[in-house]
Amino acid sequence: MSPTEFGVSPNRVDTPYDDHLITGPRPAVAVVGAGRFGVALARAAARTGEVLVWSRRELSFDEPSIRVTSDLAQLAGAELILLAIPSRYAGEVLTDVGHHLDGGHLLVHVSRGLLDDELRTMSHLIKTVTPCRRVGALAGPISAELLITSTPGAGVVGSEFPEILEAVRATIGSPTLRIYDSDDLRGVELAAALTGLLLFTIGFAQRVGFGPATIGALATRGVAEVARIGRALGARVETFGGLACFGDLLAAVAGSDRPELELGRAIADGASPSAALLHAGGNIEGIEVARRVAEFGKRRKIRTPLADVISAMVGGQLTAADAVRKLMVRDVGSE
Amino acid sequence: MPQPEPKRSRIRDLLTKPIRLPQWFTERPAGGPRIFSFNDERDQVVGEVAARVVGQCLGEHLEILLNESAHKEIERLEKQRDDEAREWLGFWRTVVRTLSRMSESERREILRQVVESMARDVAGNFDPRVYHFAQKMIPGMIAGVMNPKQLARDAISSHKVGVERLVSITGHVEQLTELAKIGTVIVVPTHSSNLDSLAIGESLARQDLPPVVYGAGKNLFTNPIISFFMHNLGAYRIDRRIKSQIYKDVLKTYSAVMIERGYHSLFFPGGTRSRSGMIESRLKLGLAGTAIEAYARNAIRARSRGEQPTPIFFVPVTINYALVLEAESLIEDHLKEAGQARYIIEDDEFSQLDRWLAFFKRLTTYGAACVLRYGQAIDPFGNLVDRQGRSLAPDGRVIDPVSYVSRRGEPCLDPARDAAYTRELGQTLVEHYRRETVIMTTQLVAHVLFRKLVHETPGVDLFGRVRRRGEITWAFDAYVRSYLETRDRLRELANAGQVHLNSYLETDSAERAFERATSAWDGYHTKTVARLDGDQIVLEDPGLMLYYQNRLVPFAEAIAGEDEQRAAREIAALGGLSR
Repeated sequence: MSPTEFGVSPNRVDTPYDDHLITGPRPAVAVVGAGRFGVALARAAARTGEVLVWSRRELSFDEPSIRVTSDLAQLAGAELILLAIPSRYAGEVLTDVGHHLDGGHLLVHVSRGLLDDELRTMSHLIKTVTPCRRVGALAGPISAELLITSTPGAGVVGSEFPEILEAVRATIGSPTLRIYDSDDLRGVELAAALTGLLLFTIGFAQRVGFGPATIGALATRGVAEVARIGRALGARVETFGGLACFGDLLAAVAGSDRPELELGRAIADGASPSAALLHAGGNIEGIEVARRVAEFGKRRKIRTPLADVISAMVGGQLTAADAVRKLMVRDVGSE
Repeated sequence: MPQPEPKRSRIRDLLTKPIRLPQWFTERPAGGPRIFSFNDERDQVVGEVAARVVGQCLGEHLEILLNESAHKEIERLEKQRDDEAREWLGFWRTVVRTLSRMSESERREILRQVVESMARDVAGNFDPRVYHFAQKMIPGMIAGVMNPKQLARDAISSHKVGVERLVSITGHVEQLTELAKIGTVIVVPTHSSNLDSLAIGESLARQDLPPVVYGAGKNLFTNPIISFFMHNLGAYRIDRRIKSQIYKDVLKTYSAVMIERGYHSLFFPGGTRSRSGMIESRLKLGLAGTAIEAYARNAIRARSRGEQPTPIFFVPVTINYALVLEAESLIEDHLKEAGQARYIIEDDEFSQLDRWLAFFKRLTTYGAACVLRYGQAIDPFGNLVDRQGRSLAPDGRVIDPVSYVSRRGEPCLDPARDAAYTRELGQTLVEHYRRETVIMTTQLVAHVLFRKLVHETPGVDLFGRVRRRGEITWAFDAYVRSYLETRDRLRELANAGQVHLNSYLETDSAERAFERATSAWDGYHTKTVARLDGDQIVLEDPGLMLYYQNRLVPFAEAIAGEDEQRAAREIAALGGLSR
């Protein structure tokens, strides 16, 4: 290389390092997975431009800007890929998707699940089986209805990459849907997953007959508990006070129809875990999350009273009445 | 405002300024590593660093920036009271006094002067003659200090002397040789001792790999002999006392410019030496992160020519010592500060000649007491690369690394994006370090002993445990059983590719391993770690035991038997507490 190539002002290489922002048109968007939420995402995205939906099933949309494919290779042409797949299929699907992607793709998932006993999240899987690094998670009190009907609402995108936020805002953000950002990806993912555990608890408490004061106490202490778990895994505590956890929880108390609530209610009615799951429908992991969190807390010496009693109760070692008693007789500390 | 004239002092020059050999009769090496022609480029590098930093600072509020730097510099220089203080204090005081009256162009000129002077102070030197001299002589000198008789014998039989018995090199060295010809290599080792840079430098020279540039703390330059070698072997100086933002920008830009220009570099991404003895579990990367910016800039340049940029490879290296020169100071510091390490330890074993001699004497009798393991190279985005230097996706497909710094197919600059890549890279390197760790006999013996100590002291915290000097004894035959079982489990981990074992661990009997470890410790450390009293082992110094066993923290649960699980869990939990 000749020295002049490194001269000070030949081209944009020498623009200041942070003079970078690309404010271009909306990115090419694809949605992977055509469950209820995937379809809602596709419809919301179709308001701002073309959308490619990948699905194994035969599907048809009445909107002309939505195109359906079962050919994964076509995903390579998208810039922003929204992943709406249940975590139990995620490994397989992502491995296949990964064959067609590179470092230029932006991947955003909406998973509320955890992958294993180390409480690893979807972004870990994405980075392990695909070459993609620019990863984000969309969470908060966004329901499929909200996306489809454009009722006012807000969500949060967790990502360390600013371009992810720009792309998601440009795609589904609107005057009725505010998309906030957080650079605490892990926090947003954990908040989304662990809120399922709290929703389950609230559903259970409602059906057992507890009043608003009890539910308020359970929800608040529950947020503190999952925030402790988050902190141990490198997330920021504040994230749990945001849309991804607290916002989602308030929506549930205000009457959202999240299946985790239904699951809690079914268990309170005395259904077995498998029957309760069947009843609640949806791909939910509330019960499994409770067990994982309780185990994790024990291993890492973190207090997880809520997860402990729930996993014991679901496992049949504790009755509902005993569970409540156990929670109440613990030593009281400062908040 | 005129820049301060340096005051002349021969002695001070000798101590602090780069000593360079005269440039007469130097042959210009053709086709040698890029660093061989660094001196011709130095002024350009300094100029470019200065221009880029000044360019970056323009956008900020220059007055605030200069004001902040001036106050930080005045505070530092007033404490320092040396020649540098006499030169620069007046300059900075004038800046503070006149700053508010200056025009924008005057401020810019002040900034340029400051940045240029800083960049010149940072910039290193490289003299191929010193390099060749060092390559031939330093291993011999080290070996000679340690074992003069052997030196004479070796000198007769071959050119290379003795060091290979001290430092053994394993891992993906051949890949590194190939990659150094294809792209720019960034060597990122674990850091436990000030000897690390010597060990790395020596290992590169021994494998005929090109030398690397690296940043060394200015405190290492105070010894004129070490300073001479450092200066002339491509080291650049980092003065950790300077806190101003401008200086930090200069350092970052210097390292980015050097990587952009294709100089192989060395960084210790852990920052300081591991106080606890643990393998680094959190990396900030610091200057190593500038490689991503450098890659993005090169990608933009290359695109405008329709080419691919020169690839950049990160090569993780674990440096595994059976004995660590500064172990006693480091673990003491770790326990005292409970993880809040002091940045510079001024008076540790590194500055004590008698400790050096004792250390090297013990090392030579140990045999390969330091194992350097070169890991698989990765690109700046954490992907493995093949022997041709091509980045590989997890499915083994070749992918284009430029895609990571591109938006809509065009490479572009973005500090927030690169900061995110840097954090990711830190996590990836931690995983590589763990896999490439080579467990040494002293570490495993210390682990088995320390686990016993934890087992025998339930409910006691770490600080309580390290005070239990000489209180616990253990029947030697029970120890032997525990050691052998632990080693077998460790071997299974090694077979699964999760860690590596030093060859002595493979071949030594339990009794021999205990003897090897204790004689290494006894011959060097001032405290006894453990001793045999009849058929009982007395656990003497839990602090050093902790230090050496800490390398096994990530594996503690996997290598413990059933009745040792509780103790193993407590040991594993140490990993969450500290660096």
